[in-house]
Amino acid sequence: MSLLKSYLSRHYIIQLAGVHLLLATMILLQAYVIVSIIDSVFLQDAGFLDVLVSLIGLLAIISARAVLTFTSGRIGITLAKKAKTSMRSHLLQHYTNQPIELAAQGRSGEKIATLLNTVDQTDAYYREYIPQMVRASVVPLAILIMMAIYNWPSALIVLITAPFIPIFMAIIGLKTRDKSEEQLNALSNFSGQFLDSLQGLTTLSLFGRAQQEQTLIEKRSNQFRDATLGVLKVAFTSAFMMELISMLSIGLIALELAVGLIIFDSIAFTTAFFILLLAPEFYIALKDLSSAFHAGRESITAGKSIEAVLDESKHPVAWGQQTIVSVPPRMTLDHVSFAYDDVDILKNISATIEAGQNIAVVGPSGAGKTTLLNVIAGLLPIQHGRINVNSLKQHELREDVWFRQLSYITQSPYIFSGSIYDNIAISQPDAPVDDVYDAAKRAGLQSLIDSLDSGIETVVGDGGRGLSGGEKQRLALARAFLKQPSLILFDEPTTGLDLKTEQLLSQAIHDLSTNATVITVAHRIHTIQAADQIIVLNDGELIASGTDASLKHSSSAYRALLGIDGGVNA
Amino acid sequence: MNGLQAVITQLMKEKRDVLISILFGFIAGIAAVGLFSASGYLISQAALGVPIYALTIVIATVKLLGFTRAGSRYVERLISHRATFSMLKHIRVHFFDRLQQLSPARLQRLKSGDLLSRAVNDVESLQNVFLRVIYPPIVLVLIFFATILFTAYFSVWMAIWLIIGLSLSLVILPALFAWLQSATDESTAEQASALTAEATDMLYGYQDLTIHQNMQARQDAFADLNDDYENAIARSRVRELVHQVLDGWVGFAMAWGVLAIGSYLSAAGQFDAVLLAMFMLLTLTVFENTSPMAAFPQYFRDNKQAADRLYTLDQPDEAGGNTLQTPITHIDFDHVTFTYPGEERATLHNVSLSVEPGSKTAIIGASGSGKTTVLQLLLKLEHVESGSIQLNGESIHTIQADSIWDVSNVVMQEDAFFQGTIRDNLLSDASDESLNEALRLAALDSFTLDDPVYEKGDNLSGGEKQRLALARVFLRDASLWLLDEPTSSLDRVTAERVLHHVYDRAQNDTLILVSHDLTGLDQFDQIIVMDHGEVVETGDYDSLMDKQGYLYQLKQIEAATL
Repeated sequence: MSLLKSYLSRHYIIQLAGVHLLLATMILLQAYVIVSIIDSVFLQDAGFLDVLVSLIGLLAIISARAVLTFTSGRIGITLAKKAKTSMRSHLLQHYTNQPIELAAQGRSGEKIATLLNTVDQTDAYYREYIPQMVRASVVPLAILIMMAIYNWPSALIVLITAPFIPIFMAIIGLKTRDKSEEQLNALSNFSGQFLDSLQGLTTLSLFGRAQQEQTLIEKRSNQFRDATLGVLKVAFTSAFMMELISMLSIGLIALELAVGLIIFDSIAFTTAFFILLLAPEFYIALKDLSSAFHAGRESITAGKSIEAVLDESKHPVAWGQQTIVSVPPRMTLDHVSFAYDDVDILKNISATIEAGQNIAVVGPSGAGKTTLLNVIAGLLPIQHGRINVNSLKQHELREDVWFRQLSYITQSPYIFSGSIYDNIAISQPDAPVDDVYDAAKRAGLQSLIDSLDSGIETVVGDGGRGLSGGEKQRLALARAFLKQPSLILFDEPTTGLDLKTEQLLSQAIHDLSTNATVITVAHRIHTIQAADQIIVLNDGELIASGTDASLKHSSSAYRALLGIDGGVNA
Repeated sequence: MNGLQAVITQLMKEKRDVLISILFGFIAGIAAVGLFSASGYLISQAALGVPIYALTIVIATVKLLGFTRAGSRYVERLISHRATFSMLKHIRVHFFDRLQQLSPARLQRLKSGDLLSRAVNDVESLQNVFLRVIYPPIVLVLIFFATILFTAYFSVWMAIWLIIGLSLSLVILPALFAWLQSATDESTAEQASALTAEATDMLYGYQDLTIHQNMQARQDAFADLNDDYENAIARSRVRELVHQVLDGWVGFAMAWGVLAIGSYLSAAGQFDAVLLAMFMLLTLTVFENTSPMAAFPQYFRDNKQAADRLYTLDQPDEAGGNTLQTPITHIDFDHVTFTYPGEERATLHNVSLSVEPGSKTAIIGASGSGKTTVLQLLLKLEHVESGSIQLNGESIHTIQADSIWDVSNVVMQEDAFFQGTIRDNLLSDASDESLNEALRLAALDSFTLDDPVYEKGDNLSGGEKQRLALARVFLRDASLWLLDEPTSSLDRVTAERVLHHVYDRAQNDTLILVSHDLTGLDQFDQIIVMDHGEVVETGDYDSLMDKQGYLYQLKQIEAATL
């Protein structure tokens, strides 16, 4: 709730209050003029021309009322627009400052839902709840005061009956809340089940079970309907009570007025009619308030979950202003540690990587090899220790200077929705087509591109045509060829590539490495053996390093990895 | 058939509830009109000083109308919602039924295009079809009809005036705003999906964007899309607001007109001024009923689109052909070329292969080499367009898909799992004993039949799903085994154990295994090696290794990989 409030700017509230004050005036004026016209015609026997001016005035009041209603709604819409726009950019800002979370990628789907749907759900708070709250604190009060002035017994009736409405609402609301939240869960669950059935239809048909499923859908639909109606019944009962109370009190007022008019002759027709016109307006404002409450509730829940997200801790990677990097870089890791969710992934790693060296990182799965690559890349913040680039600390470098000279070829490169050109030229969005095409050619993408009608402008990624695993790898290589990096990080794929991509990959990395420092998480024996230095990781610790020859001699863990100590690769 | 018509057909299965809700909606509306008119009449008569007993009757009427109004509203709401949810049930069942008539290839397409999850949302959104599209105008017309008849008895001019107001509220304004709506932005949904796509790229592609220093540009692009999206929403909200305000204004203006006409006629002596307050209040109240019409154009369009989508989605294809008379023994692919609809490049080029009865065949190759497509064509999940596939010498075109399925034990990569229990997910009516035996063979002994399974099998690991899919086929008694990467998520020991049971059961059957794993290939009678949609090698393990071709090189790489 407080998060939603923080996106409200004060002057809009003041504007809203002003609008509704005017609106209340118009409501009162409208009733007054109507009454005076009817009084003139009915009791004073006035001619048409006598009331003409009043009639014109009434038309103006009605129109002003419409304009004011519009203005109030318009302010609500603007409020909602501004709040949602900035909420969304704050959320995005927050997410992009959580590199650890993003690297894990587990909850990306959830984040996108928060960014789109949950933010959308706050709409009602600004567009309905806030304007109605302002209205409800101005209009009924003005009406009540006016009633009290003209005929205090009517005001008294309103004062006595009106509180029953919020009381009933509260009682019923308490009863519904749990139930409706339960119901909401059931609802999402139910659509999920239905989707399961639809998407599983092929499987069901293959097993000859489609007919049974149809019966099940019918059965579940009925259960769902009955459960929903159970909840709705409570909501309808509350509406019923509310309507009844307002109807009864209006009836009571009418009775009181009639008695005053006839028996005691204490009230004038104008007063009685005036009050009778105002009473419904009073209850309409209350009814609107209750529906605004209803609409606001979902928004408030949404606001809470957004607030929870924004309260999560952030650990962005730190960067500085230094710009000098001699290429290719020499890097030293000085007691580097990294933990995720309080689990140590990298423990106290120290190593030196000379400029232009070819490094292989090896170890069993789960040893922290990829995390080490991410840390060196500057994609993850380290908790302890230091990474030095040449004579500078990595975190003192300027972010763009560092990344300008880095390429990272992961096992599953991400393909953005856009053309092949866009995807390759991601680091230089205005690169000449020829350069991009050349990079694609060197990465072995020429035959693919030439086979497509739109060539390099063919749209790939989400919503475009799909690429096979091998083609994605080649696209990542093309990005690197275009960028000409001096530090290459390479997470070598394990299996499942076609022969041609296999050959291309090792040739391409070889070509790229002539002017660069290369660090590879290696799975191929020839990659490992060709390395200048091999780093052996186990359970987040660096347990050995050296050349193939020296490690074969000194490290049993290394020998076990290569299957030399009896471990045989079938 | 038009989508909305089809939906109305489903709604009319609840005819009784529909009629009851319309009746009570009418009573509720007319009671409110009566209540306020009577109050106006009461006040005016009181001003003239009538006897108290006459007033008592009017007051009693007012009270009674108040109760009637609230009570009818309650009944109307309850019954109309019941009708709506029953209608949704009919739509769901009907949709599922029609989906079953689709060719498997069409179904496959719907699944991959995310169209099914949209269909689920469309079905849910149709709950407004009755409540906000069909019902309000009907009730409105009934209430107005009664009110106008009553008015006409006292003053024809006022009745005519009310008819003008009714046509404004019910026809002219909704039509105008429906037109405005289609003339301006159809595209809020498009903008929402552009925004989603951008967010997806940013969050999933975070690492690549950071490395290529593209994040700032992306954030700017997101900010622009965000503005566009919110502006589009605000525009349509403003349009709705204008409609709502105009509708309210029309109501007041009508009351104003009644007042003016009444004043004029009464001054001219053609109208009894004691009725003036009554008709003024009557007009105000009757026009309060028109407020749902402000939301009408939006709901009408949304529901029409949803209904049309649902009912174009499931135009059934004509299924046809013969039932397979005997179990499948021979399988022949003759120069089969296949391109997925919407794709530029063919997934299979000129694929020819044949499978002998009782033989064991392995199809291997990298991801994207077309292995799975071969199985899909064989199961008629896709239609072959060039070349031919023959089963037992008969063209697959003339064979009904489900008769192929009846004789096959199939494990596909996209096998579906359902919310329920393990028992439900075994998709078999066999005895508990047999079910448990199947679980044991699939190395799922740790599960019991009553263990819960979440939506899409979300609480199962990839390996558990694969084993569950295998348990399903262990419960069948078919003689053609088609297995697509059935053990890719299992550790080697478990995989070998489960496959051992498969080979054991399939001893005398025909078996085709698709895999990118190169171990255990020597057990197969035939190995088909695929690369980029083509068959590059066929033969048994020894002959392919002797040949030192594609498989041999893959094995070399495998040997050099940790």
